[in-house]
Amino acid sequence: MRRLSKIKKVSLLMVLLIITSVLFSGCGGTDTSGESKQATKPKIAFYAFDSIPLLNWDPSVEFSNGVIVMNNIYETLLKYDPKEDKIIPVLATEYQKSEDGLTWTFHIRKGVKFHDGTELNAEAVKFSIDRTIKLGKGASFIWDPVEKIEVVDDYTVRFKLKYPAPLDLIAASAYGAFIMSPNSVTSEDWFSEGREAGTGPYKLQSFKMGEEVVLAKFEDYWRGWEKEHFDKVIIKKVSETATRRQLIEKGDVDITIKLPYEDIEALKDHPDVKVVVGPSFENLFLMLNTDKKPLDNKLVRQALSYAFPYNDVVKYAMGGYARQAKGAIPHGLWGHGEDLFQYTHDIEKAKELLTEAGYPDGGFKLLLTYNSGDEAEKKAAELFKAELVKLNIELEIRGMPWESQWEMAKAEDPNKRQDIFMFYWWPDVAGPYTYLYNLFHAQDEIFFNLAYWENEEFDKLIDKANIQSGVDREKAEKMFIEAQEILIEEAPAIFVYDKQYVRVLNKSFKGYKDNPAYPHVVFFYDTYREE
Amino acid sequence: MGSFVIRRILLGILVLFGVIVITFTITRVVPSDPAAQWVGPKATPEQIEAARIELGLDKPVYVQFQKYVAGLLKGDLGRSLRTHQPVSRELKNYLPATIELVLVSTIIASLIGLPLGVLSAKRKDEWVDHFCRFFSVGVVSLPTFWLALFLQLIFYRILGILPMGDQLSMDIKLLYDIPKITGFLIIDCLITGNFVILKDALVHMILPGITIAAYPIGLVARMTRSALLEILGEEYIRAARSYGLPERMVLWSYALKNSLGPTVTVVTLSIGYTLVNTFLVEAIYSWPGIGNYVATAVISLDYPAIMGVTIFSACAYVVLNMIADIIIALDPRVRV
Repeated sequence: MRRLSKIKKVSLLMVLLIITSVLFSGCGGTDTSGESKQATKPKIAFYAFDSIPLLNWDPSVEFSNGVIVMNNIYETLLKYDPKEDKIIPVLATEYQKSEDGLTWTFHIRKGVKFHDGTELNAEAVKFSIDRTIKLGKGASFIWDPVEKIEVVDDYTVRFKLKYPAPLDLIAASAYGAFIMSPNSVTSEDWFSEGREAGTGPYKLQSFKMGEEVVLAKFEDYWRGWEKEHFDKVIIKKVSETATRRQLIEKGDVDITIKLPYEDIEALKDHPDVKVVVGPSFENLFLMLNTDKKPLDNKLVRQALSYAFPYNDVVKYAMGGYARQAKGAIPHGLWGHGEDLFQYTHDIEKAKELLTEAGYPDGGFKLLLTYNSGDEAEKKAAELFKAELVKLNIELEIRGMPWESQWEMAKAEDPNKRQDIFMFYWWPDVAGPYTYLYNLFHAQDEIFFNLAYWENEEFDKLIDKANIQSGVDREKAEKMFIEAQEILIEEAPAIFVYDKQYVRVLNKSFKGYKDNPAYPHVVFFYDTYREE
Repeated sequence: MGSFVIRRILLGILVLFGVIVITFTITRVVPSDPAAQWVGPKATPEQIEAARIELGLDKPVYVQFQKYVAGLLKGDLGRSLRTHQPVSRELKNYLPATIELVLVSTIIASLIGLPLGVLSAKRKDEWVDHFCRFFSVGVVSLPTFWLALFLQLIFYRILGILPMGDQLSMDIKLLYDIPKITGFLIIDCLITGNFVILKDALVHMILPGITIAAYPIGLVARMTRSALLEILGEEYIRAARSYGLPERMVLWSYALKNSLGPTVTVVTLSIGYTLVNTFLVEAIYSWPGIGNYVATAVISLDYPAIMGVTIFSACAYVVLNMIADIIIALDPRVRV
């Protein structure tokens, strides 16, 4: 009895507390003036991200969305601007490569400080990249061409390569190319508690793993803080699209991404919001199982390429925010061939090809898998299905988690695999080789070559082109385009669309430039608020 | 009594073991490659092979199970495939926010549901009763996610008087040191006497709290009403009334106290339900709790995290059930 009354008292107290505080607050939300410790309010930028902002604090390992945080804390030797096809010096002021493309010399910027106060030098660069290679995790494979790194003097580093490769693009990669302070990083798991050791404009202030990251400006940043910049940056997971939309409409966040296309249409006319559409290097493939009947027949694959409703998919599945693909390399990336042949939606042509292949009345069944939860992929599959009905081909559509559909694709028996595997590709190092090698080069084991297609001529050509790209990129580009001609003729995949990125910004958020080589990254140092 | 409690505890342990076996089996049957997840979407075959050995996935399943249970006994739930952090540490980070939310909404539910039920019983078949019944059926049948979005729309977007979500405002987070003693924000604020943060925290709790409380409010109101009506028909109530005791005393002191048994059981059990309900609500309100955590874990098939949360939820259910049973057993009328 007495215990009960105690519970009663406690709960009564709690209730009173809640009621009084709510009354006192007047439901006023966030007025903190007067009591705040700082005289002037810091300028804060707020990025509402659709997913977890960062998975791993180790810059040698993180190979996911975490680049949106990493690229503000750390810097790379170089940066790549795909729009101008230009290399921008960052921690390296200049670089030279030898005639044969096997020796690259980088001159390191003087007067750069890490967040721990250490001076950047050649040793630190060698340490960082050696560490990434040694750990062998994340995107470390981008450094595969590197044989050894030599420190020439305090501010000069020389890379010796096993084979020619575009080391400037590799050093500018969004993943696995960050430079970190050797004085801080004393053990392999030094980062695991949530620490950083970069040179970037922002330092880590606080974080809640899986939820949000708060960055604060680094006073000693080498580019200085004379111009308008933000003092703090918040990157937070807001997984609900409806919530993200309301936040941006209300002006409580500065930038958000991945809103449904219906929302974007509605937001276009909003007075306080700006919708920015730009190219991306993400493109959608339908990998056709060339190990299994009837898709082992080139004519059938071509017929499917003609049966695909490209325009409808761009219009209805992507809300118009995509472009029909031309070959395997997306628009705007070097290696993209503007003059390549492009399949168009032509059912008659598809019928002719099917007849020629010995399937005049269709009459077969295909299984397509897509990444469950991806609405655009689902809609694209449904639209394709409707077209295939016209050819009397039955398409079964199955949404599966990525890991599960990948397991299925790797089955020993080709007949147990799906016929059509739908998935996106995007580059680690900005260039055509990552697409052509990973997806279409013959491999000992099944990995991302999910059309199981093998073509010696194609393989030789892209391998040669890759080596060439370390010496003469223009020549290499021609070879990569030539290789895609084979690819399009053989049609081991349907090249669907190149996605466009749609960002929704607060009108007062200025200075933002989208760079598709660094997907979803906002370089906050370049941005500022204009009231 | 003692043997009853021991029996319940043993049964609880058995149930938990069953849950562990079933979840472990399910996560192994689902076609997926944990090693591939461990290293991320674009890893090399060598990296995946290294991860397979690192995670012990090259060993037979029964060895993996043994290892898992052995770890479990030491409080080790394995490492998340996504974040590579120990699951137990992550649960410790996310749980306080959820427990706080669940408790606050349970208090809200009792505070609103109980008087509503009493009022309804007292004015049986009058319009007040009809209204209360309509209300309690209504809130029980409202889909939680709809209610959450609706409340956001009204109080954040249109009226602009309550925050959209999260535990604290950004300004507060940036300008103040958030106390971290127990991990429970409200309690930490009370301990440190930090009323600015406390106010902000409570304001942020209103919308998610009401959303989650909606279901138990209806449940409590209906349960109180029917239990009270039954008691009000008893002989001893008639006797009390015939003595001329004031109606208020009869209702609140004689009848309500005796009818509380089922309501307390319902409230206790609804905490378990509420815990699961937070999964959706937290995602909508960006509440940094366990629901938000497990939602991401499920989408990415992060099975150590899924198992960790499942085992925790099962534990919570077992314990709450046990408490409910014991409360009932404490009632001298039930005791045999």
